[in-house]
Amino acid sequence: MNAIEQQLWEYIDGTLDEAANKAIEEKIASDPEIKAQYEDLLKLNSVLGTLDLDEPSMSFIRNVMESVAAEPAPVALKTKVNSGIIYAIGAFFVLSLLGILGYVFYHAKAGFASFTLPEKFNINLDRYITPTTLYTFLFVDLVIGLIFLDQFLRRKVHK
Amino acid sequence: MEQKLTDLELIQNILAGETAQYALLVKRHQRFVFTLALRFSKNREDAEEIAQDCFVKAYKALGAFKQTSKFSTWLYTITYTTAMTFLRKKRLDTDSIHNEETFLQLENHTSNFNANDYEKHDSHTFLNQAIGLLMPDDAAIITLFYKGEQSLEEIGETLNMEPNTIKVKLHRARQRLKEKLQYLLKDEVKELL
Repeated sequence: MNAIEQQLWEYIDGTLDEAANKAIEEKIASDPEIKAQYEDLLKLNSVLGTLDLDEPSMSFIRNVMESVAAEPAPVALKTKVNSGIIYAIGAFFVLSLLGILGYVFYHAKAGFASFTLPEKFNINLDRYITPTTLYTFLFVDLVIGLIFLDQFLRRKVHK
Repeated sequence: MEQKLTDLELIQNILAGETAQYALLVKRHQRFVFTLALRFSKNREDAEEIAQDCFVKAYKALGAFKQTSKFSTWLYTITYTTAMTFLRKKRLDTDSIHNEETFLQLENHTSNFNANDYEKHDSHTFLNQAIGLLMPDDAAIITLFYKGEQSLEEIGETLNMEPNTIKVKLHRARQRLKEKLQYLLKDEVKELL
């Protein structure tokens, strides 16, 4: 294929830059041979635009749907990740940390021979652990528990 | 009046559990996928098998579709790889689709077509006939460009080639198509074009 034909195709496809576009337009306008070539390509291009697509058999959609019916329903990849794997990874790290802590405590020498709390940190905890504090604590726990239960049930219904 | 859902909306519905809506996606793209498969297989039965396999693969992988590009581009990539795998399975030498010998073979295979039959056919028949004589890659590029509403970049993505390579291949494919039309129609080509 000659260079001018390639340029003409690029002109028809609209992939030329502005300068090249102008140059080819001038060539088409000044050279009758190039103009004739351009018109031929333009006709071929318009015929190609009317290309017909082939039609598969009438039962095509039914066949596809029958094949996919045997497959599990597709789900978005982000929800496809098995939560069991996440929990297993979490459990592995928790157990590893507990193991390390256990090892450290087993080999450490217990005792606070020369340790005394500074005056300002000497807090009397008995003053704060009252029935009211305990009830408040349990009430907050109950609310958090209910929120989690609600989310869990909603997820089940959604599935 | 019911509004026509876009491909992405249909996909979201399917992923949310409305799997029957996949039939709408198949209906929308079946003709193009089948035509593309036919460009490679040159045989309706094989093309139907490839197209069906392609839609099943697309269904299974729908969750992995990133939804950042066009669904059609993603689907045509699956069609291309499915067709290649199918041809390999049929023990056809896929490398040979790029060489001129196969091209000539295909040409001989269908060249018993008589130009005198021109009157019985319309321009589309001849055009499809000429495309059938092209190498599969050329035929696929022309189909993707003119009927798939695909840009050079998207065709490159589908066929795993650089956009510039696609641009050159498209020019050559059109040139070869012109030659095929001239071969089929001889003097009548002027009437068609």
